[in-house]
Amino acid sequence: MASDVREQAHGSVASQLHSSEEDRAFDMTTSEKVVELLNQAALISTEEKLIVLKQVQELIINKDPSLLDNFLDEIIAFQTDKSIEVRKFVIGFIEEACKRDCELLLRLIANLNMLMRDESVNVVKKAILTLSQLYKVALQWLVRTKSVSDMQEACWDMVTQLKEDVLALLDSDNDGVRTYAIKFTESLIITLSPRTPDSDTPKKQEGDISLDKIPKDHTYIRYDTLCDEGKLALEQLLKFMVHPAISSINLTAALGSLATLARQRPMFMSEVVQAYETLHANLPPTLAKSQVSSVRKNLKLHLVSVLKHPSSVDFQGQISTLLLDLGMSQSEISRCTPATVQPRKRLHHEPYVEGKRTKMVEDDDDKEEPAPVVTPKPSSSSGTQSSIDLTAEFLLPLLNPENVANLVLISMVYLPEVMPASFQATYTPVESAGTDAQIKHLARLMATQMTAAGLGPGLELCKARDEEVKEEDGGMGESSSKDPLIIRKLSAVSLGQAISVVGAQQAAYKSPVTEEAPQIKKLPEPILPTTQPKAPGASGRKKVFKLADVVQPFSEAQIEKLANMAIKRILQSEKAIAQSGMSHVRVKLLARLVTQFEGGKKNDLLQFILEDMRGRSELAFSLLFHEYNEYLGQQPSGSLDSYEHCLFTLLSGLQEKPEQRDGLFTKLVLEAPVITDSALEVIQRYCEDESRVYLGMSTLKELILKRPSRQYQYLNVLLNLSSHEKEKVRSTALSFIKRMYEKEHLKDCIEKFALTYMQFLVHPNPPSLLFGAGEDTEVAASWTEETVRQCLYLYLSLLPVNHCLVHELAAVYTEAIADIKRSVLRVIEQPIRGMGMSSPDLLLLVENCPKGAETLVTRCLHILTDKVPPSPELVERVRDLYHKRVPDVRFLIPVINGLEKNEVIQALPKLIKLNPIVVKEVFNRLLGTQHSEGSPSMSPLTPGELLIALHNIDSSKCDMKSIIKATNLCFGEKNVYTSEVLAVVMQQLMEQTPLPILLMRTVIQSLTMYPRLAGFVMNILARLIHKQVWKYPKVWEGFVKCCQRTKPQSYNVLLQLPPPQLASVFERCPEMREPLLQHVHAFTPHQVHSIQAHIPASVMAVLEANSRKPEPEPQPELHHPEIIEEREVCCDEAEVATDLFFCFVMYIRV
Amino acid sequence: MPAHPLRVAVVCSSNQNRSMEAHNILSKRGFDVRSFGTGTHVKLPGPAPDKPNIYDFKTTYEQMYNDLVRKDKELYTQNGILHMLDRNKRIKTQPERFQSCKEQFDLVITCEERVYDQVLEDLNSREQETFQPVHVINVDIQDNHEEATLGAFLICELCQCAPCGVRDPVRGLGLVQLRRRLRGGQREQAGAGPGAGSPDGLLHQLDPAVAGPSA
Repeated sequence: MASDVREQAHGSVASQLHSSEEDRAFDMTTSEKVVELLNQAALISTEEKLIVLKQVQELIINKDPSLLDNFLDEIIAFQTDKSIEVRKFVIGFIEEACKRDCELLLRLIANLNMLMRDESVNVVKKAILTLSQLYKVALQWLVRTKSVSDMQEACWDMVTQLKEDVLALLDSDNDGVRTYAIKFTESLIITLSPRTPDSDTPKKQEGDISLDKIPKDHTYIRYDTLCDEGKLALEQLLKFMVHPAISSINLTAALGSLATLARQRPMFMSEVVQAYETLHANLPPTLAKSQVSSVRKNLKLHLVSVLKHPSSVDFQGQISTLLLDLGMSQSEISRCTPATVQPRKRLHHEPYVEGKRTKMVEDDDDKEEPAPVVTPKPSSSSGTQSSIDLTAEFLLPLLNPENVANLVLISMVYLPEVMPASFQATYTPVESAGTDAQIKHLARLMATQMTAAGLGPGLELCKARDEEVKEEDGGMGESSSKDPLIIRKLSAVSLGQAISVVGAQQAAYKSPVTEEAPQIKKLPEPILPTTQPKAPGASGRKKVFKLADVVQPFSEAQIEKLANMAIKRILQSEKAIAQSGMSHVRVKLLARLVTQFEGGKKNDLLQFILEDMRGRSELAFSLLFHEYNEYLGQQPSGSLDSYEHCLFTLLSGLQEKPEQRDGLFTKLVLEAPVITDSALEVIQRYCEDESRVYLGMSTLKELILKRPSRQYQYLNVLLNLSSHEKEKVRSTALSFIKRMYEKEHLKDCIEKFALTYMQFLVHPNPPSLLFGAGEDTEVAASWTEETVRQCLYLYLSLLPVNHCLVHELAAVYTEAIADIKRSVLRVIEQPIRGMGMSSPDLLLLVENCPKGAETLVTRCLHILTDKVPPSPELVERVRDLYHKRVPDVRFLIPVINGLEKNEVIQALPKLIKLNPIVVKEVFNRLLGTQHSEGSPSMSPLTPGELLIALHNIDSSKCDMKSIIKATNLCFGEKNVYTSEVLAVVMQQLMEQTPLPILLMRTVIQSLTMYPRLAGFVMNILARLIHKQVWKYPKVWEGFVKCCQRTKPQSYNVLLQLPPPQLASVFERCPEMREPLLQHVHAFTPHQVHSIQAHIPASVMAVLEANSRKPEPEPQPELHHPEIIEEREVCCDEAEVATDLFFCFVMYIRV
Repeated sequence: MPAHPLRVAVVCSSNQNRSMEAHNILSKRGFDVRSFGTGTHVKLPGPAPDKPNIYDFKTTYEQMYNDLVRKDKELYTQNGILHMLDRNKRIKTQPERFQSCKEQFDLVITCEERVYDQVLEDLNSREQETFQPVHVINVDIQDNHEEATLGAFLICELCQCAPCGVRDPVRGLGLVQLRRRLRGGQREQAGAGPGAGSPDGLLHQLDPAVAGPSA
């Protein structure tokens, strides 16, 4: 059958094998199947071999154990397999097999022994693991058998031998093997020690054998031997732990093992805790930094797990000290401490804090009546323990400051060059330096070291075991005298922190409040249960000191008073402490203390700070930060009230102080963790103070820029200040805002604010907001210049920076009432000028000119062109506006100098019809006689051309009186219209046909202004005669008038007139005739002669004629009084009304 | 060829980002890997730092995904959470809690020290049975997508640099070498981004307790 299978196996690949084997699984016996599988296993690869072998194991161990014996040898044969994994499997198989049938140990233990010496460490490790199981199995098996055979003896001997071998492997070269050996040792110690009621045994190991189950009268197994072996193993483990070059992995494993031991066998707790202590004080120097931290983590973890065990009660002192050193907080520690301390019937180990007395009594007990179950403690370890205690006791009184200082100085010499990693990682500043607890801790640390080095009185004492009682009597005396000391210290500490606070050294300052807590909580527990049972035994020789008997608790008021006084003393000791250079400690202390108290003390301290803010700023900051810390500590339910109060008081104090120039306010604001609303109000008040406005706002600005989370709130404060009624405050705020406006993220907010304020202008009444808080009731107030400005300050200062805002103004303007409009027009000059006429937005505004905003636009135009000639773009826009949308000629005025000549001439009729003041302005612009000096006149018209243009205005388009007034304006400008200019004008006018109506008026005017033009005028007159001036009635009239004024020069001209016209002259001015006649008669003969030639007889006839002849051309409406006479003309009423406003627009100068 | 491949567990707090990133990469490289969280709940970033989305470990990635899509698709797309969940649900159905897993591992890699502490505490609180050691290595990774990716590569390198060593890390290519390589990697990482693990972010611990009963 087997050969069959083999044949088949030969021809098949593995996969086929599997399927075929499954096919036949039904009709094969288990035995056949095992054979087949084993045959396969011999031939296939390791991977599959393992699978197959596992199947075999399952079959013969679990399915049909009767087969186990049959196939044992076949499977064991694989122990020489090449593959490590297969060899490991064999070990696993041995374990399972032996657990199934202990008898097999006899056969298999030797194999295990062999595999234990395998060349592969992996196999060795597996063997160690298996041995830790089989050791228990073997022991149990032997204990069960009453009569032990030789075979069994040999087997057990081998097991023992193997055990020794594994223990020896603690010194193996291989780190991993050592780790397994440690775990083996752990389980060995557990097995070889008795389980006690307080053992913390895992459920699955409930049934495992341990020393307490071994009968003392067994034929072969010796209880005592095993017990000693267990102790020896523990010693080896402990020794292993203190090896200075232990690897971190081994250390971790050993730490865990010890914790397990302590929990499962509390009798070893003392050794374990001590080992932990020793390790903590002597971390191997070979560890790297991360390893140190890992080891410390483990140490902490295991200490906590040990601490949780109820039996740890006697070691709580040591454990808590260690845990504190490892960085655990007192509260965490007390959480892990077992809540109820069960009063233990027997104390096998002396408590830490308690004096020698208890222990001595206990030790005596141990010796006299050993517990039936519990093994007597190994004397060596007990000796070590007590010797450490003894040495510590011995050292304690010696550790006075002087000695310690000497020790430190001496040991300086031995310090290594480089700080070892272990020290660096474990070092924490000694928090409780100088306190009793710390001195005790130190004494114990030193005692540990000394005992390890074989020094110290404790060790000597233990060596002389029989003398111990006497020796310890001495120690007892020492301790009894010390007990009250401890308690007194405690009472002081628990009742008033003030006592140690004032006069004490640096150490006492550190943190009295936080340190007291642990002592109060920790110490009473070990003291009370141990003192009481002791009392009767102490035979009344010593009265037990109980704190409660001798002191009364203070009343609330007393406590309060004492605390107050203490704080006061600290406050007042300012100078003394400053001299000692410890002021930072004082500051910290005060801040901490006061933060924890309510009310009065806080105010006292704040008052104190404010008395000399500069000198005590450090205290102020410290207090503030503590308050904030307190708040954070109470998250999420904490309230900021206390912090707010503190900050508010400090800031207001600073704000109210008259002179404070060193930026303390700024510093406080900027360093405060949170600016509360009330603090912000103080800042605002600070900013409103004219003398400090700059500093205040710089602070505010810093806040805005550096505290982005609430920057809009801060910004709002600043924005509100921008409409402040105090000019200095306002302008400073504006300049700050302007700078901030450049920041992209603040831009929107600022802009919005400005626009909101401007929007107020459309309301019928100014909003109460403008009057500041508290005046809300006064709603009915009307707009004043001031309130309007208030709404615009910010906007106007932004305008030159952001031109597009101008459109908003236009929108508001159209809706606003007239009063506001006027104010607006008054205030925009500066910003509009700042924008300049090239601003695209301004041009756009001009182009669009919203309905109702015409005056605004005009005003803008005026402001822009006031000092500079208009740009072509602007002219273009205005021209468009004028032609296409609003044909109001007044738009053209500002840009008139930019227009074409003919455009001006076209517009002239309309222009001169405007209000005289406006007309004057127009002419000023045209004539370049503006107020501005130096700007080159770019007028499209020369003065002469202008005057001519005026003369040529079609009288149908414009009434004469306006034209006259316009020309009068021209004549008013004597500097421009010089005699030369006028001469040219007259010349040109005279050459026109038909003659302009106003020609003669201008001539007369010119003559009046410049009498020396008389000759030229005569010339003109003469030429007019040629042009038959009498055909133009009005001109003719002027002509006559002119002649009349210019007599006698005009006589010659008159004489040139044709007789009918001359007659007409005389008709108008009869008084002229006589002088003219005389003039003719007065001619010298020579003159007569020449003149005669010129004076026709007809003329003479007219001259001499006395009779009145009918006029050739009667002219009924000859008199045009308006033309000739310069009367004040009264304009149309309506026109005046519209124009007045316009004049206002042009002439306001802010 | 090893008898059984290296069994790796990657553990972070919520079994979402760091451990899943590493899970993803390690499984792509052919490792036998599982991932876990140690927290009591699964926490994902919410609309504000103080308003995380909290689920229990029974919630599947799919459910979380749908829940977040419903809450604010835009937000969670933008901060990458949805993408992450999408990735996660392709890997396995739901987050797993380390403390609830009784499987055995050769190597447990934690992603921050707090998690490392929790793993240690859990392992120590288990009852010993097989005495099989397990390596617990902490690789400090900041909890964000970029660091998670970097960290995952680092973890992968760690697993790869000792293919035989991890099964028997004490032999051959020792941990010293491993550590050196990892430290080097971490230093690089520290250079690459602020707040990356400090050189002593690596804590190695060989724990004697067992991550579960033997098979």
